[in-house]
Amino acid sequence: MASSGGTRRPGLPGLANYGLPAVSFVAGVVLWQLVVELFRIPAYLFPSPAAIFQVFFDGKINWVQQTLITLNEAVTGCVIGIIVGFVIALVITLSATLNKILMPYIVALQVLPKVAIAPIIYILLGFSNTSRILLIVILTFFPIVINVSTGLTDVDRNLVFLLQSLRANKATIFYKVRLPNSLPYFFDGLKIGVSGALVGAIVAEFVSSNSGLGFLILNSQYTFNTVAAFGAFTILTALGLLLYGAVVLAARQLMPWYRSG
Amino acid sequence: MASVVVLEHVGKHYTTVKGAEVQAVKDVSLSVHRGETVAIVGPSGCGKSTLLRLIAGVETPGSGRIGRETGGGQFIVGYVFQDSSLMRWRTVYDNIKLPLEVVKKPDLGNVDRLIGMIGMKGFERSYPAELSGGMQRRVSIARAFVHEPSIVLMDEPFTGVDELTKEALQTELGSLIRTLRATALLVTHDIEEAVFLSDRIFVMSHRPGTVVEEVPVNLPPARDPSMRSHPEFFAAATRVRAKLLEMHAMRVDAATPAPPAG
Repeated sequence: MASSGGTRRPGLPGLANYGLPAVSFVAGVVLWQLVVELFRIPAYLFPSPAAIFQVFFDGKINWVQQTLITLNEAVTGCVIGIIVGFVIALVITLSATLNKILMPYIVALQVLPKVAIAPIIYILLGFSNTSRILLIVILTFFPIVINVSTGLTDVDRNLVFLLQSLRANKATIFYKVRLPNSLPYFFDGLKIGVSGALVGAIVAEFVSSNSGLGFLILNSQYTFNTVAAFGAFTILTALGLLLYGAVVLAARQLMPWYRSG
Repeated sequence: MASVVVLEHVGKHYTTVKGAEVQAVKDVSLSVHRGETVAIVGPSGCGKSTLLRLIAGVETPGSGRIGRETGGGQFIVGYVFQDSSLMRWRTVYDNIKLPLEVVKKPDLGNVDRLIGMIGMKGFERSYPAELSGGMQRRVSIARAFVHEPSIVLMDEPFTGVDELTKEALQTELGSLIRTLRATALLVTHDIEEAVFLSDRIFVMSHRPGTVVEEVPVNLPPARDPSMRSHPEFFAAATRVRAKLLEMHAMRVDAATPAPPAG
């Protein structure tokens, strides 16, 4: 991009932007370690960073396997959620009638705290992978529906008019104006969606599973293995960052023209 | 002279959301000849934009008729909006190319030629967000000419542009129209802009808009900035301004209650 004249792309934020957060994080971890050691807080109450670090290597838990189980559920549910969300967004923007018919259900599902449905999904679908994925889909698809339908509708009216004046049909206007216009909205929805997917995966495992990080946390509670729960928190934080980062990276790749903020 | 667009007693009214009938334009008759630039000047809300939409064929008139001479091919318009209205996901090159794609005309170098004419060589691959406001306007102007339209319709094309940039853009637009031998219809409330760019000016009244005066601009066809101080420039501008002021006064009189007698 730097080759073309007049480009004003923001450069990577320098040390000033990354330095202070990094120092703050490291200082927090060190302080945590010191407080735990100084007050001799037992590990089953509040483990130290060093203890959490050790739990990954003591060989009692297969962390890679448990992480992959949770990640797999989250990603599968998220992908299905994206597809479902996109299709519903298409349907409600293309047909005003279907929009009116579907809207009460979509809104009702959204205002309901979806985690509350979790125990009941298993009555309907049994303790299967399908139930877990369904919960994640429900948590993921809504922000996609709202954002994509906004992006498909909230277009520059002049552009629509321009294409109409050139005798373009609705399909042409859709894929030349509406679809590309919805892309930034889609990625904003996806940012919300991926964090929803992780929430869904953990709750699903809380309610019914014998594997995955959510199951591990619940099991740690029963056995007072708090340090293992903290290990799971650490991995979940990393997974959240990873998924969010992947969305941001994909957005940058697919929308070199987009500048947020 | 061959006309590209002829409006005969054209009227158009809208129904508002609240159900009220609004007459936007009424009994408008005018024509635009091939190769000439015509301006429509009038107060805000006189239905100027409605006229452009009617000529573009996106809306149909409620009364009267609109004749469009194609001279063989299909009647097709070019459009310049109040804001540049570019596709932010397309590069400068692809934004200008858009009308060619839509009307399915091959790109035979028109895009490159126009990029050269608007002085934007080297910016082909830039995105709108990377351009200044003036550059974005230039791109939107190039987009309106690329498909060699029967007529280029311009709806207050330099709204919100600072004065110096505006004059530069007006000069460039004028020479672009002449070089391409294009036919153009400019809607504006800027009297100087209308005089500088056009061969004839139609003055419109307030809503319901109708043509109240036709003012010829007797300046040489090639317009350069020095003509802004030409006596004929002032003569035409004065005539347009006088007519607009006259209509404005009539509206104010109509809106002000008569003073109580005694």
